[in-house]
Amino acid sequence: MSEELRVAVERKPNGAILYTKGYINNVGGEEIANRAYELMDDGVRTVLLNLRETKIVNSIGISILIEIIEKMMEKGGRIAFCCLTPVIHKTFQIMGLANYATIFPAEEEAIAELKLAG
Amino acid sequence: MTATAERQMELTLPMVSDIEIAAARAAANFAREIGMSSEKVDELAHAIIEACINAREHSGCADNRIYLRFVGTSLADGTPRLDVWVTDHGKGFDPDEARSRRPAPGMAHKRGRGLQLIEAHMDEVDISTRQGGGTTIHMVKHEWKDQ
Repeated sequence: MSEELRVAVERKPNGAILYTKGYINNVGGEEIANRAYELMDDGVRTVLLNLRETKIVNSIGISILIEIIEKMMEKGGRIAFCCLTPVIHKTFQIMGLANYATIFPAEEEAIAELKLAG
Repeated sequence: MTATAERQMELTLPMVSDIEIAAARAAANFAREIGMSSEKVDELAHAIIEACINAREHSGCADNRIYLRFVGTSLADGTPRLDVWVTDHGKGFDPDEARSRRPAPGMAHKRGRGLQLIEAHMDEVDISTRQGGGTTIHMVKHEWKDQ
């Protein structure tokens, strides 16, 4: 359980993967948003968020994730998630995020389904 | 069912940024010590985080403190039960009014989900609050025998 969120970006032929590590709160959510908006400005329209190393989220952080999804949808793009803990998955469903973004159990499945590898 | 053992812990935390993580960590350690499973511990941690954020963001209290009390009980069949009280000395609120503003489950909504998440992650939730008299959220997490 780390307070500070770190985000790593991996570009793929047809999009990008954001790897998060740590707590997704207001600050962590903004950090993810900054990376995602940079990618959108660069023309990326498919982004997968891999939350494998995030064990805690809060409602404020999730509200920022919903904003990212909305902005990407406005641009005709798509945000997806993978590798969620069961509790984060449940939290995403309650918050309504699961209605607007696909959630994959594993990264390999997400990459194939989203055709990120080209 | 008869309770066979009891452990208690009390914390007073300042209302500073990310203090909810300290509360969640303490709760998680306590819950593990009384034998709660990791998924239950995660749910408990998320509920405590939302309760502390609500207190920090909305209580408007003068003392800038969150008071937490934990009571862990092992029931006669060995299953643990954890009672948590999260208290602030703030202005109080109307829980029914807060629930009435709640969006339907599953509908994307940016704010106002804290109480809903607490109720979803815990087995029992009871809110005591009055105008100017502070708020206490009493939450219970069980580890059912068949889980």
